[in-house]
Amino acid sequence: MDSIERGPSERLALLIDLERCTGCKSCEAACKTEHRLGPGEYRNKVVWASELEEAGLAFLTLTCQHCERPACLRACPVNPKAISKDPVTGIVRVDESRCTGCGECVIACPYSAMGFDAQGHHAVKCDLCVDRRAEGEKTTACASVCPTQAIRFGKRSELLADAQQSGRAPRDQDHFLLGPATIYLERSSTQKVGGMVAVTPARAHPDHSRRPSFMDGLAAQTAVQAQRPAFPYREERADTAADRVVPGGCNICFNCCTVKFHFKNNKLVKITGNDDDPLLKGRVCPKSQLTLQMYHSEHRLLYPQKRVGARGEGRFERISWEQALDEIAEKLKVIRDQYGAEALAMYIGTRTGILDYRTTTKMFAQMFGTPNKDGTDPFCASGKNVAFEITLGSIGSGNSYTENDLGSAELYVYMGDNQAETRPVYFGMINDWRLKNGAKMVAVDPRLTATASKADRWLPIRPGTDMALALALAQHILANNLHDAQFCADWVLGFAQWRDYILQKQYTPEWAAPITGLAANDIRQLAEEIAAADGCVIFASRGINQHTNSTQTNRVLMFLSAITGNWGRRGGAFFNMSAGTPLAAKVPEHRAPKITRQRVRRSPAGWTDAMLHGKPYPIRALISCNNPLAQWPGQEKARAAFASLDLMVHIELFANETSAYADYLLPAASGIEKGEIGRSNDDRRVVWIDKMIDPPGEARSDTWIWVELGKRLGFGDVLKEEYKDPAVLWDEVCIDTPAMKGCTQKRLHSVPHRWVRIPVATEDAPEIETLYLEGTTVPTGAPGRRFPTASGKLEFWTEELEAKFNMLGMSALPEFYSEREQLVDLPYMELQETDAEEGVISPFCSPATGSARGKIIAPGPDHPGAKLRARGFDTELVTGRPPAAHFHSWTHYFWQSQEMWPDLYCQIHPEKAAKLGIKDGERVCVESAHGKIEAMAWVHAGIRPTAVFIPIGWGERQPYNPWRPVNFLTDKTQRDPVSDQTNLKVLLCRVSRAAG
Amino acid sequence: MQRPDIHDTRLLQLTAAVVAAIIAWFLLRGLLPEAWRTPGSRELYLIGVAGVLLLLVPVAFVVAKRGGSGANPVNWFNAHVFCSFAGMVLIAIHSGGFLRRPPALLLLALIALAALGIWARVYGSRRIAATFASKAPAFRVPDAETRERLRALISEKRALLAQLDPQANEGTFSVNLPHFLRAPRLALAYRRLAREESRLLGSRAAVSPQQAWWRPLHMALAWIFVLGVVIHVITVTFFAGYVADGGPITWWHITAWGG
Repeated sequence: MDSIERGPSERLALLIDLERCTGCKSCEAACKTEHRLGPGEYRNKVVWASELEEAGLAFLTLTCQHCERPACLRACPVNPKAISKDPVTGIVRVDESRCTGCGECVIACPYSAMGFDAQGHHAVKCDLCVDRRAEGEKTTACASVCPTQAIRFGKRSELLADAQQSGRAPRDQDHFLLGPATIYLERSSTQKVGGMVAVTPARAHPDHSRRPSFMDGLAAQTAVQAQRPAFPYREERADTAADRVVPGGCNICFNCCTVKFHFKNNKLVKITGNDDDPLLKGRVCPKSQLTLQMYHSEHRLLYPQKRVGARGEGRFERISWEQALDEIAEKLKVIRDQYGAEALAMYIGTRTGILDYRTTTKMFAQMFGTPNKDGTDPFCASGKNVAFEITLGSIGSGNSYTENDLGSAELYVYMGDNQAETRPVYFGMINDWRLKNGAKMVAVDPRLTATASKADRWLPIRPGTDMALALALAQHILANNLHDAQFCADWVLGFAQWRDYILQKQYTPEWAAPITGLAANDIRQLAEEIAAADGCVIFASRGINQHTNSTQTNRVLMFLSAITGNWGRRGGAFFNMSAGTPLAAKVPEHRAPKITRQRVRRSPAGWTDAMLHGKPYPIRALISCNNPLAQWPGQEKARAAFASLDLMVHIELFANETSAYADYLLPAASGIEKGEIGRSNDDRRVVWIDKMIDPPGEARSDTWIWVELGKRLGFGDVLKEEYKDPAVLWDEVCIDTPAMKGCTQKRLHSVPHRWVRIPVATEDAPEIETLYLEGTTVPTGAPGRRFPTASGKLEFWTEELEAKFNMLGMSALPEFYSEREQLVDLPYMELQETDAEEGVISPFCSPATGSARGKIIAPGPDHPGAKLRARGFDTELVTGRPPAAHFHSWTHYFWQSQEMWPDLYCQIHPEKAAKLGIKDGERVCVESAHGKIEAMAWVHAGIRPTAVFIPIGWGERQPYNPWRPVNFLTDKTQRDPVSDQTNLKVLLCRVSRAAG
Repeated sequence: MQRPDIHDTRLLQLTAAVVAAIIAWFLLRGLLPEAWRTPGSRELYLIGVAGVLLLLVPVAFVVAKRGGSGANPVNWFNAHVFCSFAGMVLIAIHSGGFLRRPPALLLLALIALAALGIWARVYGSRRIAATFASKAPAFRVPDAETRERLRALISEKRALLAQLDPQANEGTFSVNLPHFLRAPRLALAYRRLAREESRLLGSRAAVSPQQAWWRPLHMALAWIFVLGVVIHVITVTFFAGYVADGGPITWWHITAWGG
């Protein structure tokens, strides 16, 4: 460090570890909440930077450097100065009461770390949370929440000593001899890439990189700043000082962060991580904190409304709950009488929460007599759920995010799982163990995601070909006898059949190389690493799931884990996001009418022919609890189908695209407004969230709505009034299963972190860190059964399974196929029946569900991909989750999520962009054979040159930066016959500069 | 923390009121008595003096802000805004509507000064706020040559500071008004070094020209106005015939008190 002066030993500082930071912006969220900052006002900011010449992705948490010679202080023209420096701690502070807002300090700071309140006209800056620490907190707001422990606060000398001790080098950013106190630790790993350009950490750094223009675009930011931000912007510190803190959880995503809700005079003033949680230790992602903006949003729906304009127009009048529910119930009765009970479809999405998804809505559907109910699973996870059920007999790996378990792995392989952005806290733990234990990390993804940016190797695979990679990995391991033969002999049913099949089919690395776009050597190397590792965790997610080969690819990856002994051990697992929460809700047999017709299809996207054409039978009413008109693939048809309904009810937090098509719009409660559990998460934690506040206006909990609607249809004896209290519903209805029996309200409330890891058969049963260990019996099974299948073993192949697959035109031995729309002709799945036909009853679904049979089509002259390519669709479209601040539709109503990620973007490789004359930040038009949208270009070398990526979640009716959703480009007919999962990960498209 | 800040909306309302007042004056002045249209008449003379007195408040703000005696710089800032607006209206009235004569340039400078201030407050503030995290090049690998020049510059500053203000710490010091009054030569020399350091940091060049230069321009216009007022007072007093350009000399301080 070439500092002009050495600071005192009491000098305080932040240490920011560039190897750990994943750019999630949780620190930004914490800082704005702590200091009540509004749009455009910063004390810290996470900068994303990507490369044009080489693939790379870097993040820089920028904050005040608390310089020894602060340029900002010297530039301040006020005398005595409005900026001061503490001679002991070195903290540079601004006295906002003396600042006249000239902006000279902002200009003077070469780090651009001086913020400004454009509305209050004064400088703002990081003061290392002096006020917060004076109130007894030990660390800064940013450091307290950081999911990856990338930010630490303390005495500078001690932070430096710690860094030195762990062999980490602080980077020299004292370009100007200002003596910055903030310590940045250089990236440490050497990253390599298979099959493409090399990524080195030295390059993947903001020093060298470009920031995506669209993020800070003036127009986009102005759109956010133009609206009044929700509480607690510009509140006095004293007005947000909590007098009561209640533990609970975040109800948005699969990480299920445990949080603390801070109240003052019963008003929610802050949401922080729960530092009493022994697992997450107070770390939270930005979404958890930003739900504060949901609870105080002025965009919330406040009262029931009835449509007065045309469908899609969005004109409504206010009505009472009585009128709304009475009219809906009457219309449902008419539809039931006219078309049958199955004419009602219920789409119970993410927003609804697991509690209502698995209880009240399920009971309502059973009592009404409709089989046509489902949620987002067929768009996200049904393939992996089926694969888990038939292989393991239960959903989820059985492992935990603990130091003993996942922390003890030697190798982490991410396949189609961008965990750093989708479950940031979990990734922070894995990354921490990687760094501490020297474990290796490999990311297989068409994109250099935040996850891949931390990996030792990035394998940029062709989207839709993970199955080929998995088969080749298995073939190499089996052909070279690298597998765990003992485990296979003892604990795998059908191993020999599968091994023989794999070897006979010659799924070699050389075979997989041209299919996947990866080098055969890279495939062999990965196979050998997986086989040799003393503990390998394979993480898969939507990149594997959202394909027509979803079930089979998941199965092959499970088999891969199993044959290398990475199942039922600590530090070895196959993970695919949520483990599922087995809630028990059931209607007494005598109260549920016999359902006479099969569910049209498992995927709600398969219901549109029934809505539009009455085939295979009519669906005339839909009750939807989230935003299908941004989410369902094939939007044109979905919208036409919704427009044709006799009754459409939408239960929501905010008015969105779907609301515009509703006849009745019912305002819902969420999270602490109603009381519920968190989402099903990776490692079996059931997180309880108490009802703590009343919902805004006349909004009501989903439970309340279903119970009230149920009463009007005569279901009151089952959907009981007392179930409106979620705690009663939980204890009386939800936990009547062997796995859940001990997860009572009493037990959930006995711990300060409000979660219990299932299975727990009794209230005092110990939680099990790792399930299925050798020598153990599955908790709810017969003695000697290690795994929860009927055989007690992992089941690769059985005659029964073969028969089930045969019913759908497939084999239980996974044969390779990819997607219909590819840049190279590969075998693909063609469904033999349309959604208008009944098809066959799926052997993999309950209740009885119609399914199309599938047929694997070999490449040939009439390959649909070739036809599309001839029409100019020359690019692979990959869709997926946006970064950590967003989740589906609802975060797009939080002003700060929109400030962080304002516009719908299209990641495009610089080579392609140059060829098309597209510059970073320009508006582009993306067209597939199914529709057309526009987005902002993010020119980024961290993506396959032949692909573009567009995230989900944006909609046309969101209050800030509205865009047409990406699902106008997707196709509902490309589905997995086994799980009905839609392919959302590779479609052919063409990209051009948007006109005008 | 409650700051007595003037909200943008209020500032724009105030601006609209001032513009309306000036326009109203120009539209209605034909209806007013002759004295209100006669350059230097007693009425217009006194209005002009009052305007200048009000415009002395911004000058006082500059001094108070830098002089070390201003207890509340924000209140002083607000006073400079209100008095500038009021002074501008009075100066507009004082012009008597003669906009094709050289003194009208003063009114023009005053309007430009105010317009720039309003722009900076209402729109420029957003640009200032957007500066945060916009200078990522600062995190590039340090340039050895720049660092050597900076090192030398800092040594020079320290040597100079030992004479200018021996108790001060170079790292947190900048010259202010008392230094200029006490030791102008040293203060100027120090400021030259500080500017050189700032240039090497490149921080002003890293922001947009509007953001970088609005304030220097605002101050330059202010000084031009002050200088113009002095010239105006001197010329109408000591070169009245020249100013009248063959016409009658109607300014009150000469007609009433002789000259």
